[in-house]
Amino acid sequence: MRNILITGVSRGLGLEIVKSILEEEDTVVYGISRSKSQGLVNLMDQYPFRLKWMSYDLNDVDHVRARIFKDFIGIQTPIHGFVNNAAVAYDDIVTNLNYEPLLDMYKVNVFTPMFVTKYVIRHFLLHQVKGSIVHVSSISVHTGYKGLAMYASSKGALEAFSKNTAREWGEKGIRSNILVAGFMETDMSATLTEDQKNRIYKRTSMKTPTTTKSVAATIRFLLSDLSRSITGQNVYVDSGTI
Amino acid sequence: MERLLQIVNTILENRGKNIVDDINPDTNLRNDLGFDSLDLAELTVRIEAEYDVDIFEDGVVMTIGDITKKIM
Repeated sequence: MRNILITGVSRGLGLEIVKSILEEEDTVVYGISRSKSQGLVNLMDQYPFRLKWMSYDLNDVDHVRARIFKDFIGIQTPIHGFVNNAAVAYDDIVTNLNYEPLLDMYKVNVFTPMFVTKYVIRHFLLHQVKGSIVHVSSISVHTGYKGLAMYASSKGALEAFSKNTAREWGEKGIRSNILVAGFMETDMSATLTEDQKNRIYKRTSMKTPTTTKSVAATIRFLLSDLSRSITGQNVYVDSGTI
Repeated sequence: MERLLQIVNTILENRGKNIVDDINPDTNLRNDLGFDSLDLAELTVRIEAEYDVDIFEDGVVMTIGDITKKIM
């Protein structure tokens, strides 16, 4: 059995990633999110033994090891992959920047994921697993959009973290990659107006939103042994953003 | 000390290095056992799994004696 830890599994892309990974019969998903959605409940009914879930707020930087790795997964259970998918967006123009929401966003998007990575790698070492880590980033890091500077900066931090993690742990066979996702039709982009969305989609080669299915399938590939020689990379799934 | 020796030798074996017959409180992890930073990370993890103590959490650990002080 291959055990995969995924954050932000209740909605949108996270739910799609879980679905995609559970299609492989030898996988077990350890899913984390703040709350349970109907979509997640349905999936747990469909996979009562292979989908495990725990409520955890990624704002909590301090209890990663105790709650996620000791209580939920268990020290004796090997982990083979980690998908850092959960994120919050702090959208505003830079001149309106406030510290509290910035810190909250960084806790969820960067600080707690860094600690999860710490303990995931420790887990890999303990069980001698050549594990795969995938962080979900955003095309906003590379193209720039008005109002997304703070959010994009948090994803840019993850990209640098992933590149260096790959370099540091490559000789143990541990891999780390970034999935750079284009704009998707999920709750995360729900606050954008149709006009804003259309302007964003016009900036892609395909003139369409990025599908969560395509992103999820690529993450599944990056977790699998088929991608054994890929590490330290940014993989763009973004409808060809220009 | 016996259990700690087993852990040390597991790490040496995993790295394809020669195992050692004994360790003592003065055994230096880097100089005597040839551990590099990745070996020390694996040592931390194996001791943490066994004794529930993160030996590197506060301060530097140089010798076997430094470890036994933290887990005893």
